[in-house]
Amino acid sequence: MTQTDRGAGGADALSSPFTPGMRDNPEELGRYVDGIVGRPLPLVDGEPGHDEPPTPEQEFAAEWRNAAYNCFSSGHKFCREVCPVMQVTRNESWTPTAFHANVVAMEKGELSVADVAADYVNCTQCGACELRCPNTLFTGDFYRFRTRTVDVVKAVRALAVDQGVHQEGWRTWNARTDERTHEPVLGDVPVSQEHVRDWSAGLDLPIGGETVLFVDCEAAFYRTSVPRAVAQILRLAGYEFGLMGEQWCCGGPAAEMGYVDQAQRFARHNLDDWRSTGTTRVLVLDPHDYISFTEDYPRYFGDEYAGIEVVLVVELFAQLIREGRLTPSVPVERTITYHDPCRLNKRKGIWKEPREILRAIPGLTFNDVDRVTQWSYCSGGGGGLPVEKPELTAAISERRMEKAAGLDVDTLVSACPWSERPLSAAGEGQDIDVVDIHELLAVSLGIEVGGTTDGGAS
Amino acid sequence: MSAEPDGRRIGYRYAEQHQPPDPVRASDVAVTTFEHVFEVDSRLMERWVLQQQFPNWDSLRIMNSRHDHLAWMHRHFADRVVTGSELLAEVEREDRP
Repeated sequence: MTQTDRGAGGADALSSPFTPGMRDNPEELGRYVDGIVGRPLPLVDGEPGHDEPPTPEQEFAAEWRNAAYNCFSSGHKFCREVCPVMQVTRNESWTPTAFHANVVAMEKGELSVADVAADYVNCTQCGACELRCPNTLFTGDFYRFRTRTVDVVKAVRALAVDQGVHQEGWRTWNARTDERTHEPVLGDVPVSQEHVRDWSAGLDLPIGGETVLFVDCEAAFYRTSVPRAVAQILRLAGYEFGLMGEQWCCGGPAAEMGYVDQAQRFARHNLDDWRSTGTTRVLVLDPHDYISFTEDYPRYFGDEYAGIEVVLVVELFAQLIREGRLTPSVPVERTITYHDPCRLNKRKGIWKEPREILRAIPGLTFNDVDRVTQWSYCSGGGGGLPVEKPELTAAISERRMEKAAGLDVDTLVSACPWSERPLSAAGEGQDIDVVDIHELLAVSLGIEVGGTTDGGAS
Repeated sequence: MSAEPDGRRIGYRYAEQHQPPDPVRASDVAVTTFEHVFEVDSRLMERWVLQQQFPNWDSLRIMNSRHDHLAWMHRHFADRVVTGSELLAEVEREDRP
C-alpha cells in the first residue's frame, strides 16, 4: 500500500487509505462518514418517475441482498469442492455461488422465483459451503456477518411455496406430514400419532416430566433401535426422563422445504405440549431436531423459548462416561470409521464428543478421518433431497462410502438416523455395515437393544 | 449440568446465547469478547451493512473451526519444493516397463 502524507497542507483526506474509527485519522474524515461509500442502490432500477411497486422477488431481495452480495462480490468459490451436490453433478446452476447470484438477479428484475425454484432443490443444507467460505471462516465472527447459504436456500424455497411454485414430491410429503403429524417414512409401523411411541414397547417409560426425550420421525418409525438404545442407556445411568405427552414432528423438514406456516404450527404444538407437562429440558438424539430446536424455535418464539433447555444426547453420553456413570465394558470387535453428521460437525461444531464415546468402547479399531476433511463428506440425506432427488442422495452416499472403503473398515458409525438409511444402502455394495453410535454404545454396555434398523424389513 | 473439559456447559439455553461476555477494547476499532474471539466495534456496522443475529454458539463455532482449519492446513502444507523436471523424471520412471 502506498503511504502518502495524509492531511498535510489541507490535502483531500480521502486521497489516502484509512481505517474508519482510528484515533489518528485526520479530523476532516469525520465529515465524510455518511458519504464516502455512496448511497444504497434503489430497490428498482428505473428511469426517473418509475413508480411500479416492487415484485415479490425484489421485496425478497431487499431482505437478502447483503447476504447475497457478500458472496457475489467476493466470489472465492471455496464452497464448490466441499459441496456434496457439486461433487457428484458439476452443475454450475446448483452451486452455492449460483444460489446467491440468483438473488442478485432477482433484485435486478432479471429472474422470477419460478425460473430458479427447481435449482434450489439441489442442496442438502449441510452447511459446508457457508463454513468453508472465507467470509465465514476468517471474518464471520469478527463482523458478526457471515455467509448464509442455508438460510438463503430455505428462504427461496419458502418464497417459491408462497408464490405457488411447488416441487411435487415436497408438496405431497408435507401434506402427508400434516395429516399424520409425522413424516411419512416408510416402514412396517404405520406412521400416525397413535403409533409414535411403539418403539418403546416393553420399556415402560413414563410420560412427561421435567426432562423428555424427543424422538425424530425416522427413529420413531423406521430405525427404532436408536431410541431404544438411547432410552436404555439413560436408564442404566440413572438419568430420569419421560416421553412427550403428544409429540409431533419437529417441523424442521417442512421449514427446510419451504412450508414455513406448517413448520411453525408444528413447533407451536410441541412447545405447548412441553409446557403442559412441566417440561424444561428436551433431550435430542437426532442432529436435525437439534438444529430445529436451537435455530428455528428460538427464531419463532424469542423470549417465550427462554424456559427450555435443549441437550444433545451424544454430548450427554460423553459427559456421563467422563463422570463414570457409564462404563462401556463389553468389547466390540469391529474396525470402524466415524461419519461426522453434517448438522453436528459443520453446522454446530460438535465432533469431539462422538469420538470420545467411540474411544471409550473396548475392542474397536478406530480408523478416524478428521473433522475438517469431513467438511466435504455428506450422506445426501438432508434438506429434503432424498424426497425429490433420491438418485442424487444415492450418488452422494456412494461417494461417502467409497471414502470409508478406502480405510479398510467393516463398519461405518454415524450419529444421525437420517444419514443411516442412504448410507446403509450404499454400504451394501461395499460390504460395510452402518451402525448408529447410540446402538454401538448400548452393545458395549451389555444392553440388548431390540427394535429394527430397517423399518422392520428384515 | 456439569461442565465439559473446556469449561463449556452442554446444552442450549436461549438466555445464554444473546449476550456475549463484556467486551474488552483490543484496538481503536476492535474488541474481544470470548477468548480468541475478536469483533469489530459494532458502531462501525450501523450504517451500510448491519450485523446479523449472532448467537454466541455461532461465534465460537466459527472461531474454533478456523483454528481447526488452520491446523489442518499446516498439517497438509507442502514441506519441500519439487521441480517440474523431477516430476517428469518420476513419471517416465513409472512408465518404463
